[in-house]
Amino acid sequence: MTLECRSVSFSYNGRNVLKNISFQVGKGIFCAILGRNGSGKTTLLHCLNGILKPAGGHILVDGLDLGRMPQTQIARHVSMVPQEHTDIFPFSVIDFVVMGRTPFLKMTRSPGPTEYRMALDALKTLNADYLARRNYNQISGGERQIALLARALLQSSSTILLDEPTNHLDFKNQYRMLSRMKGLCRDHNTRIIASMHDPNLAMMFSDQVVMLKHGRIIAQGKTDAVMTGASVGELYDTSTQKMGLQNSVNIFLPADIVRENTVSKNKDCCREPNR
Amino acid sequence: MKNDPVSDPKSAVSSVHDMRYMTVILTILLAGLFFVSLMVGRLDIGWKEIRTFVCASLFGTPVAPELSSKALVFTLIRFPRCLLAVFVGMGLSISGAVYQGLFRNPLVSPDILGVSAGCTFGAALGLILPGNSFMIVRILSFAFGLTAVCLAVGIARMIAVRPILVLVLAGLVATSVFSALLMVLKYMADPYNDLPAIVFWIMGSLNRVEWNDLYIIMPVVGAGLFLIHVLRYRLNVLSLGDLQARSLGMNPTLYRVIFIMISSLMVAVTVSTCGQVCWIGLVIPHIARTLVGPNHSNMIPVTMLLGGIFLLAADMLARSITAAELPVSIITALTGAPLFVYLLYKNRGSGWI
Repeated sequence: MTLECRSVSFSYNGRNVLKNISFQVGKGIFCAILGRNGSGKTTLLHCLNGILKPAGGHILVDGLDLGRMPQTQIARHVSMVPQEHTDIFPFSVIDFVVMGRTPFLKMTRSPGPTEYRMALDALKTLNADYLARRNYNQISGGERQIALLARALLQSSSTILLDEPTNHLDFKNQYRMLSRMKGLCRDHNTRIIASMHDPNLAMMFSDQVVMLKHGRIIAQGKTDAVMTGASVGELYDTSTQKMGLQNSVNIFLPADIVRENTVSKNKDCCREPNR
Repeated sequence: MKNDPVSDPKSAVSSVHDMRYMTVILTILLAGLFFVSLMVGRLDIGWKEIRTFVCASLFGTPVAPELSSKALVFTLIRFPRCLLAVFVGMGLSISGAVYQGLFRNPLVSPDILGVSAGCTFGAALGLILPGNSFMIVRILSFAFGLTAVCLAVGIARMIAVRPILVLVLAGLVATSVFSALLMVLKYMADPYNDLPAIVFWIMGSLNRVEWNDLYIIMPVVGAGLFLIHVLRYRLNVLSLGDLQARSLGMNPTLYRVIFIMISSLMVAVTVSTCGQVCWIGLVIPHIARTLVGPNHSNMIPVTMLLGGIFLLAADMLARSITAAELPVSIITALTGAPLFVYLLYKNRGSGWI
């Protein structure tokens, strides 16, 4: 059971945004898509979600061709946590989460007690049932992301796409969000594909990495194997050093820039006792 | 902490479905008010007489000769007028709720797409034309109302970027075009006969009602209300924006077209019968949202009932407040405007303005 991209390409206003993208993601795998701004990460996620139709190639989800499925059908297999946070009606969080059941409801039906119970269960899975009655517009950015994740979980627990899930989140909430996502992979065998900005977070949480540069894949595979100083450096066009910390945690640092700044800081420190 | 309704998840599930009591209360209120408003007016009609008249029209039982003129007033004027008030109130308030949900904009009402302006222009044109037949007035009003919607939607489709904002702007364009055309008609109209007729038409009123109007309004508005009631949950999803609606498996364009067609048709039919009755489409959805929250599953039925109650009550006032009858739109504006200010004040800080 895999999600498979077979030489997918997409162009927007004559510009090729995605070129010959091929990769596979298995069940229960956390796959991070890394790349600079404008490298085609969001476009790729929208293709995987059926919102954009690729110009060439095929996308297969568990053997089903997305190109031949109506949107409702796709939505039952793939759910999405979008990046945008538009202000909406002051829905309660549970009213918002329950919308994850939309693709399963007939055109004329409203969600009933069964759906609401499922929504509450999804919130419980993420330890966020305390949010249920709160106003979605008045909760924090981190809580909104958790609510969106709960909605996605309710919609399709098999594949969840996330567009920069840690954007706008503070230090603690970034780790909390990612560990909840990781927990879904582990406990629910969910396949997660997330576009990410921070290679260090990707290194820590993902099982698999796809590196996109100018719409092409420059490296992909198991996180530990793919993420080297050289590959990350090439991706972001800056020389990068991989450093090992305790407990086999590795971090990437843009070497030149860090050296420049630490040197100047050391100078300041040295000057202090001489005064 | 355990008993705090905000954080207690059990009540979160049950309370969503406890809103039904509100619908029941409002239904009883509407029925009661309808009965009361049958008795209110220049001509006193008691409830015993109402029973006689209803029996007479249903089963053909004879009416005492001294009551026959009252019976005529009841069956030809009072009863259809109250029925009209309910249907128009429901239709306008629901269209307002639908537009607000679709455009994610709390300041939107049926006037936004130029429907009202188009209908008014059509009616005025009909009044000026020789022949003076009310059927022509109605047909023209309806036709120009739909023309205005098509114009607005057409402009928005042609521009095709930022559809939500552009549709509202296109509606403004349509409105101002038809207001200008109306101005031309007013300027050219005969100041002794045609001009007063146009002015009175623009001041919405329910006093021109005939059974023939109801034969058009009841099926059209009835069907529209039914369809919107049935599809109401989709408004929740649409209000999240097109991207999220699509990722939730919906075709937002299709639903938008369906909702706009239904509600514009309802507005065109009501305006072509009783002129512009303002503020209902704007205020009633806000009251409903304040009472039961923004979830359209609960809010649409409540909006519908409140709309009926509000216009029925306003028309009752319009009939009885002064010796000469006031146009009902004056009452709706005078009560609706301060109510709206109060609601804006009360809902401030809920992240929705």
